[in-house]
Amino acid sequence: MVGVLLAGIAGLFGWRLATLQLLDPDRFVAHGELQRIKTVPLQAARGAIVDRNGVDLALSVPRVSVWANPLQVEDPVRTARELSGILDADVSLLEQRLSKDSQFVWLGRQVSDETAEAVLRLGAVGVHFDEEQARVRPGGDSALAVLGRTDIDAKGISGMELVYDSLLSGTDGEKIVERGLRGVSIPGGEYSVEPATHGRTLVLTLDRALQFEAERLLIEGVKLADAKGGVLVAMDPATGQILASTTVRRDEDGLIRTSSEHRAVTWTYEPGSIIKPLTFSGVLSEAVAAPETVREVPGRLEVHDATFKDTPVHDPEELTVGDIVRRSSNVGTILWARDLGSEALHEEFREFGLGSVTDLDFPGEAQGILEPVGRWSGTSLPTVAIGQGVAVTPLQMLTAYAALANGGIRPAPTLVLGTRDDGGMFSPRRVRPSMTVVSAAVASEVVAMLERVVESGTGTKAQVAGYRVAGKTGTAWKPQSSGGYGSKGDRTYVASFAGFLPVEAPRLAVLVVVDEPAGHSYSGGRAAAPVFAEFARFAVRQLRIPSADERIGLEHAGRVMAMTPARHRILAEAAEAARLEAAGATIGG
Amino acid sequence: MTAVLGPERLPRAATDRQISGPSTRAAIRPAVGILGALAVVGFFATLLSLAAFHSIVVSGQFEFDRLQGRLEDGHERAQVLRAEVARLESPSRILEVANGRLGMVSPPARVYLPSVPLNDGPTNLKAPEGDPFSGSTR
Repeated sequence: MVGVLLAGIAGLFGWRLATLQLLDPDRFVAHGELQRIKTVPLQAARGAIVDRNGVDLALSVPRVSVWANPLQVEDPVRTARELSGILDADVSLLEQRLSKDSQFVWLGRQVSDETAEAVLRLGAVGVHFDEEQARVRPGGDSALAVLGRTDIDAKGISGMELVYDSLLSGTDGEKIVERGLRGVSIPGGEYSVEPATHGRTLVLTLDRALQFEAERLLIEGVKLADAKGGVLVAMDPATGQILASTTVRRDEDGLIRTSSEHRAVTWTYEPGSIIKPLTFSGVLSEAVAAPETVREVPGRLEVHDATFKDTPVHDPEELTVGDIVRRSSNVGTILWARDLGSEALHEEFREFGLGSVTDLDFPGEAQGILEPVGRWSGTSLPTVAIGQGVAVTPLQMLTAYAALANGGIRPAPTLVLGTRDDGGMFSPRRVRPSMTVVSAAVASEVVAMLERVVESGTGTKAQVAGYRVAGKTGTAWKPQSSGGYGSKGDRTYVASFAGFLPVEAPRLAVLVVVDEPAGHSYSGGRAAAPVFAEFARFAVRQLRIPSADERIGLEHAGRVMAMTPARHRILAEAAEAARLEAAGATIGG
Repeated sequence: MTAVLGPERLPRAATDRQISGPSTRAAIRPAVGILGALAVVGFFATLLSLAAFHSIVVSGQFEFDRLQGRLEDGHERAQVLRAEVARLESPSRILEVANGRLGMVSPPARVYLPSVPLNDGPTNLKAPEGDPFSGSTR
């Protein structure tokens, strides 16, 4: 009897064994694998954005996010009340989330370590933690308009974060691993890794120190001019690399802050007199006049139904082309522009890049307004020649000045030097071709006229001790929303100054625009030129641009100079390199 | 009636008889026993070695997991510290601390000292000959 029972039990076991091993093994193998084999996602880290010196401007750091499984939460009301103080969230909102018929709700994303620890200490049932990558900007809102923002899921939504999102994002990977109890990997078990490809580091042309100083000085300048806002852009004229770009705005409370809108490329304005060098570039290119050509210039001029005046109005005078630029004479400019002709003037402006985007690859870049000649009215030529009736972005205007500084070759402006991979390998950005817009001789003549503007014309406040500076002021009338430019009492202005230095070998071009300055300091020479000068004084030191006297020191190595040991070493090395180069040239020649 | 003789049975070789003899079997038996014992010992020794090897592999895997975890933590920590360094070095934070905690005041104007006096000709000042401090004494 017992034997039969034992045989029966043995038979049952045998049948079960056969079922498991022979009849339907795949289902159980799959079930076992599901329990043991885990796929762990490997999140690709978003690449950092750094300045031209490798300083971090934006980078991702791990942060804890708090989530809950409402089905596990025993008392949603009490839990919501306890969490609201820690997470600084609305109680009713938390309560609503914790009462959902769902297995997952976010309670707080990318919270600080202290907050996460406080929630952990609470020990609430059904509350869990997850790790995410948060985007931080160590410099606060500095350069925010250029850098842009990401959303909470680290997707670029504006600025460089948006433009280079695919490069910065990288590709997620995964790890397949066989794990036993307590999550320990089973040796010899399934193990395969597809590594994550981290996002590339984006190297910008910006210089953090210059950017900060530009913001600080522009805020000061806008405050002094009692203006609505302002823009400052700085560029290396030879390469088109933008060294600093900032926009400041006065908010409703009267506080002046850096703006998140990159107005250097998205805002268009009528530039006023700073366009005159471009007009005279056309005049000289077409051999209509030379810098020393003299003509009689009246104080006012009637064209169709409009009257154009110089400020201050003067009796007819004999002025050279250089004098007209130095004194920023509207009437003189119009007279020469009429001799040049509408077609040639329009073509000249097009050559300098007005009316078209600059290929900066920045979202929302405006192309400005330069109407075709066929749509010009009788007053368009004189108006456009002095910078009214034409709209430009600050970057277009600065690029045009960079072309003059660069011997007539217009550089392609850029904000990106290149990218760097995980291993530190640098890939430079493809350099867009520069374009010759005027001959070097004409550019040199225009630059000489612009230098006189700063020496003894309207731009004397832009002088920088030790450096030869060339530039031009602009005080444009701002179009009113009701149409026209308003009458003398209610007229608003855009004051600007564009210039570069040192004249003999320009390495820095800067445009300062002050929007709606009030009071007596509304002109470009008073509102914008001082900001240019202050910024340039700082920038030449930051960029190691030697003054004329310092260059003499380079040529005469034995000369006593007050300097730091580090600077002395730099200058000595430069002098030695120059000496060796000269020796090589002599031998070769 | 003729008697037919059956085939004569040949005697087996003496040596054969010696091998299969009962005395020989008795001699072999201890050797088989020793071999069997050795095999059993070897089998268990192999099992023990395998267990020991497996234990080493498991502890190695455990150490590998631990180091990988530490590596990931290290990467994260480095990233956090990198952000902190950048924050501490940022000009806005330095200005904030200077103006706030240290009570410093920004100057109304900034004065830059030129590395050479302006309009200073190249021959105005001569570098001292040799080491100007060689004759100095304490």
